[in-house]
Amino acid sequence: MTALLEAQALVVSRDGRIVLTGASLSLAAGEAVALVGPNAAGKSTFVRALAGLLQSTSGVVRLEGRTLSAWPREALARTLALVTPEEGGAGSLTVRDRVALGRYPHRGPFRSFTAGDDEAVERSLRQTGILPLASRRIETLSAGERQLAALARGLAQEPRVLLLDEPGAHLDVGHQLQLFRVLDDVRECGVAVLAVVHDLQRAAAWCDRMVLLADGRVTAEGSPRDVLASAACADGFGVEVRGHAVPGLPHLLYSFEDKRP
Amino acid sequence: MTEGRRRRNVLLALALALPAALALALAHGSVPLPVGSVLSSIGSALGLPPFAPPLEPSAQAIFWTVRLPRVLVAGLVGGGLAVVGAVLQSVFRNPMADSGLLGVGSGAAFGAVLAVRLGWSAHVFLALPMAAFFGAMAAIMAVYLLAHAAGRPSLQGLLLTGIAVSALASAGTSVLLVATEEFRVKTVLFWLAGGLEGRSWPHLQIGAAFILPGVALLLGLARPLDVLALGEDEAGSLGLPVHATRLAVFALAALVAGAATSIAGSVPFVGLIAPHALRPHVGPLARHLLPAAFLAGGLLVILADLGARTLSQSLDLPLGSLTAFVGAPYFLLALRANEGRE
Repeated sequence: MTALLEAQALVVSRDGRIVLTGASLSLAAGEAVALVGPNAAGKSTFVRALAGLLQSTSGVVRLEGRTLSAWPREALARTLALVTPEEGGAGSLTVRDRVALGRYPHRGPFRSFTAGDDEAVERSLRQTGILPLASRRIETLSAGERQLAALARGLAQEPRVLLLDEPGAHLDVGHQLQLFRVLDDVRECGVAVLAVVHDLQRAAAWCDRMVLLADGRVTAEGSPRDVLASAACADGFGVEVRGHAVPGLPHLLYSFEDKRP
Repeated sequence: MTEGRRRRNVLLALALALPAALALALAHGSVPLPVGSVLSSIGSALGLPPFAPPLEPSAQAIFWTVRLPRVLVAGLVGGGLAVVGAVLQSVFRNPMADSGLLGVGSGAAFGAVLAVRLGWSAHVFLALPMAAFFGAMAAIMAVYLLAHAAGRPSLQGLLLTGIAVSALASAGTSVLLVATEEFRVKTVLFWLAGGLEGRSWPHLQIGAAFILPGVALLLGLARPLDVLALGEDEAGSLGLPVHATRLAVFALAALVAGAATSIAGSVPFVGLIAPHALRPHVGPLARHLLPAAFLAGGLLVILADLGARTLSQSLDLPLGSLTAFVGAPYFLLALRANEGRE
């Protein structure tokens, strides 16, 4: 598999502090990768750097073999979408208008809305299951519905790479399942999906591959089962992880015990 | 009612109310003029046949040299301030933002007082508005440069820098005021209170030269503005050059607000309440909100100026006080409603 998105030895500072100390990662088309790690490991910084929003002091990010800085902004946004936790602004926008702003990289400041734009918006609304909410205002939605609207905006960009920063945060279990099911659909269409996931159980059940970030670099990578069983994982989180096979369940259930003194 | 229909109704109501307010403001004043004759007079200037008895020569003079330009200036200033308010509210993602945040008002005041203190305004035509305009521009530039001294600033950083620069300009204004002869202080106090007394065609021309292109360009940036309102990360990830766009928007907003303030002095709350009141009805998209805000702001200041001219028999009330009398209670109610919702 050739990498769609690839980061090599990325070093990124924020507010004078080195957050990423040489993080590397590669992502192929149709792959679902969960980025996990303890608080302050640099996960959000990593996805923002992968999206080209943060400058690196050294290292390189390549998208389709081309360094990010060589991509024109709008072309980049047509190829790669980033969905971050809702910042709460633009509350009086309707869901449809919010999602339609995802067409900005295709339209630029002046081109008017075409049938193709309309179709992409419609498809994103349907795929995320929020078509019935299309004319509601964002401020009247629940946190889960808002998260789905943000995801729909990302899908309206029709990207080949989708990056998500904690898409499941603040969601109840039903909405979480719905959201990850949407991500599975997206991946089946050949989109590479990388999501920062806090809940290790959820991450293990969803992803093909797990990447563990600790102290600003990748300390373990591979199948969820291997990563969660690794010493790096125990060290990174300061817990002991045990996997339990449960008859009838396709994946392991995990239990966590504090191993810090 | 669907969003679209509600939006159209609001725009229609504004588009109908504006000419009505214009007619009202043109007819009323210290010398009442018959509405029919006023409209007929405008019509014949546009080449239409007269349909009402003509104005008397003295009334004709009042209408053409005093009242018409003053009412048009009011509409222009109000429209400009409301558009700037709408734009800054979406860029700062704060429904209570206003041009005051960027130091426009206090910079303009400093410039105006300086022009009066140095005696320019007594000798040079339009020296006071010009100085006010340059004061506003200088304040905004100071805010921008200071905020960028330590790299690209956050919105919070810009906001706090604006407050600091405003305080500095106000301090300078106070020092200058104390050092100015008493008879000159009165000129500047009138200007600081906000008002359109004596504003005529030259003011309208200067105002129009800055405000209309500024508003038109901001309207041209409608879509980037909508993207910018999503926040820095999301706007950047959608391919918008966030800092360049923000800079262009601030420069245009400063130009419009600076021109409006230099002509009319301080006219508070228009930029705040017009877009704030409209947003729930026309939605936050700039291509809908900006035109509606322009109409509503114009309407508001035309009516406020009408009140300033006619509420008291003996004197012109300060326009800025009137907009504040209406705006401040609205602001407090909106604040309370906002907190009630949270």
